[in-house]
Amino acid sequence: MNHTDQAFQEILKTSPYKPMKAKVVRAHKYTEHEKFFRIELDGKKELGHAPGQFVQVSLFGQGEAPISICSSPTQKGSFDLTVRRIPGGVMTPAIHALEAGSVLGIRGPFGNAFPLDKMHGNNILIVAGGLGIVPLRSLINYILDKRKDFGEVQILLGCKTPKDMLFGDEVAQWQKRADIKFNCTVDKADPDWKGNVGLITSLIPGVTLSPKQTYAVVVGPPIMYKFVIGELLKKGIPEHQIVVSLERKMKCGLGKCGHCQIRSVYVCQCGPVFTFEQLKEMEGECHEGECHVKA
Amino acid sequence: MSKPKVAFFEFTDCEGCQLQVANLGPGLLELTKLVDIVNFREIMSEEGQEYDVLVVEGSVASKHDEERLKQVAAKAKVIVALGACACTAGVNNLKNLKDLAEQKKIVYGDVDPVSDAIEAKPIDEVVKVDYYIHGCPIYGPEFLKVMECVLLGKPYKVPAYPVCVECKQNENICAYEKGQFCLGPVTRAGCNSWLPNHGSVCVGCRGLIDNPAADAQKDILEKYGLTVDGILDKFTLYCNSKKERAKYGKEFKK
Amino acid sequence: MKYAVIDKGELGRWFDSLKEKGKIYGPKKKENAFVFRQVKEFEEMSLLYTPTILPPKKYYFPQKEFLFKFKIDPFSTGKAIKEFEEFILFGVHTCDIAGIQCMDVVFNEKPADPNYLNRKEKMTIIGIECMDYCDKYASCAAVGTHVYKGGYDIMLTDIGDSYAMHINSEKGENLVAGKKYIREMTEADREKFNKAFEEKLKKFHNEFEGELKEVDESFDKGFSSPVWKDVGDRCVGCTNCTAVCPTCYCFDVVDEVSLNLNDGSRYRVWNYCQMDDFAKVATGEDFRQGRDARQRHRYFRKFKYSVQKYNKYFCTGCGRCTRTCMAKISLVETVNSLLAERRGK
Repeated sequence: MNHTDQAFQEILKTSPYKPMKAKVVRAHKYTEHEKFFRIELDGKKELGHAPGQFVQVSLFGQGEAPISICSSPTQKGSFDLTVRRIPGGVMTPAIHALEAGSVLGIRGPFGNAFPLDKMHGNNILIVAGGLGIVPLRSLINYILDKRKDFGEVQILLGCKTPKDMLFGDEVAQWQKRADIKFNCTVDKADPDWKGNVGLITSLIPGVTLSPKQTYAVVVGPPIMYKFVIGELLKKGIPEHQIVVSLERKMKCGLGKCGHCQIRSVYVCQCGPVFTFEQLKEMEGECHEGECHVKA
Repeated sequence: MSKPKVAFFEFTDCEGCQLQVANLGPGLLELTKLVDIVNFREIMSEEGQEYDVLVVEGSVASKHDEERLKQVAAKAKVIVALGACACTAGVNNLKNLKDLAEQKKIVYGDVDPVSDAIEAKPIDEVVKVDYYIHGCPIYGPEFLKVMECVLLGKPYKVPAYPVCVECKQNENICAYEKGQFCLGPVTRAGCNSWLPNHGSVCVGCRGLIDNPAADAQKDILEKYGLTVDGILDKFTLYCNSKKERAKYGKEFKK
Repeated sequence: MKYAVIDKGELGRWFDSLKEKGKIYGPKKKENAFVFRQVKEFEEMSLLYTPTILPPKKYYFPQKEFLFKFKIDPFSTGKAIKEFEEFILFGVHTCDIAGIQCMDVVFNEKPADPNYLNRKEKMTIIGIECMDYCDKYASCAAVGTHVYKGGYDIMLTDIGDSYAMHINSEKGENLVAGKKYIREMTEADREKFNKAFEEKLKKFHNEFEGELKEVDESFDKGFSSPVWKDVGDRCVGCTNCTAVCPTCYCFDVVDEVSLNLNDGSRYRVWNYCQMDDFAKVATGEDFRQGRDARQRHRYFRKFKYSVQKYNKYFCTGCGRCTRTCMAKISLVETVNSLLAERRGK
């Protein structure tokens, strides 16, 4: 065994399964199905996460669910989660029942994060489809807070209808900023919608960032990757600079329970963030949409 | 907050599942600290009129059953299907194997004491069911687990995996190793492999798992010298409702 | 460390001396099979046995393992790590010891698992060497677990009218210390011991039709092999192969609430990649569909992924998955099919 004696004794004393006590300090519904929560750990302890990581939300008697963190680590004293309610599910309806003042358990943060070190100094293209904006909000707010550390920044946001748009108040701010480019599209417009209509892929040809100095961060449903990554490759963005985040069933968050495994990779530990170059190596086990690129 | 009221009603069945509930002993007493049981023929005589949770035992096998079920269901906030008859129509499905008139003739001859009889069906063909407790009879500890979920307002997920999962964890000798025929591999778990624990084979009383490997199962049975007819006979006892048949019907032809 | 010798007639006496150290679990007969159970008297055990239905895994990675107690309101958690008692596994085959060594690697990997490590600290392993095949399903020679390679405190080897004892730890040393009926190995004993080993090796042969290096290559190239469709078509999804495997460690985490609806406990329970919904997420997306993909995953976890991750084969050759499969899917046949396919190309 490779542990030093003291470190080993420490391990024996603490359980990685025990959640920390936390409290909802703000809760509101963004859409019919998505609810936002601002959460404080007991004693206002910092969660200490990086953009792209997730936590296990623990409700005693109900269970645990892996949820992406949607706030930037630059936000101190609290962190944010946004949860879609899945009808008939156990955890998400229970999480939706939480209100300001509710107590819950938190384990984590888990997983790797977006490769900020490598992204520093480069252009950033963010492509968010549907719920993909949830983990990306963490990254976007981080970049905006550390704006000078990055080159040009462009954000592409797609959702089904204007009603499904999350973080509308912040999106309006992003739109106004002069130091980033922001484009948004909906699959289906409503009468009030004045923006683009069409799939998110339709926004990519208009991207003007110089590809070799650009990191593209793409998060959305598996099927979106297939088309978006194809477009990004056409643009000339190198495979190792195309970054995605994968959804998997993550139970323990400790790289043990096996549910999130793709080939030899435990997504909860080695992921959920991967480059397209890494995705290709997992071919056959990752979702068809994730690694089979439609050019 | 007043305690939620629970009522048990039975339809076409043997009341054996309610008997399992009555036999829970300490568990049932614990439960009564949390709920008021207002209608339960097996253990009490008086009938209460109002209830929140309706526990339905038995299948719907007559027009009268159907009307009465709709009536008692209208008052309930939550409906629990108790036992195979309520969940899948259980053994009552056997009567559906023949035309109703023909069946009546076999059973009653020329008289017809059940003029309003219909094809037996599970209760979810009549009312919306929130919780299923499978089995013939039900497995007591699962009943308590489901009631806990009802009280916590949380869905109960019937295991999607087969009885083998529990059976193997209990370290039973596989029936197939003993040359016996067991429905464990295609039957939904949740009973803690009750029958195999006592040396018997699984008879499939909880119904089929959602995605039974019918072809593979057929190959296995043939390997062990069983005929397709024999296999279908085994399925017939409990897995013969429309819902269950649809699961193996496509692949599992004679 | 060192070798000692005990006469067969004295083994029961030695067993009795172990009782004060803790509970003893050993192989017992159950109908036509064997299971590990608590053993109170030496005679209850069958030291010549085919691998038990479940491996001794259940003692260091139980089917249902308590994690911690909780209260829903007000939110609180109880002490998470229980103190475990000392226990002895008696008569463990070398294949199952290899299984324990695999689990050691997994649960020591960061973040390390205190539940496993705590139990492991309290565990004493007394192994017994197989001098011949247990049955036709074993493939221990192919993966090299038919001979012992550490991972135990004491190893017993049948050398005729006595057992050679290889003492492999301080714990083991303490179990034999001061016992007059246990003697140092003499030259004559050593000769018998070497002879027995020689005789044993003659009986074992590589069960695969190729060396491990070739098996490794065939898995490298075999991800899209038609072998998996064939296995998948025969698989009924009963999950037995994963339940009985000494190196399967997948689990689920579940809550149980007592009937006061406020106190409860969180447990981890065995879960298997062969289950239908194992990789299915809440939104309904199933990331490993089909019994063929799931069976392939099982094999790759034994012969490829573990090698990539831990530089270790996670098949111990115990033969349990083959023995328990009602569809008669055979590990040796599957591996040989892959090898044959590789050679055909």
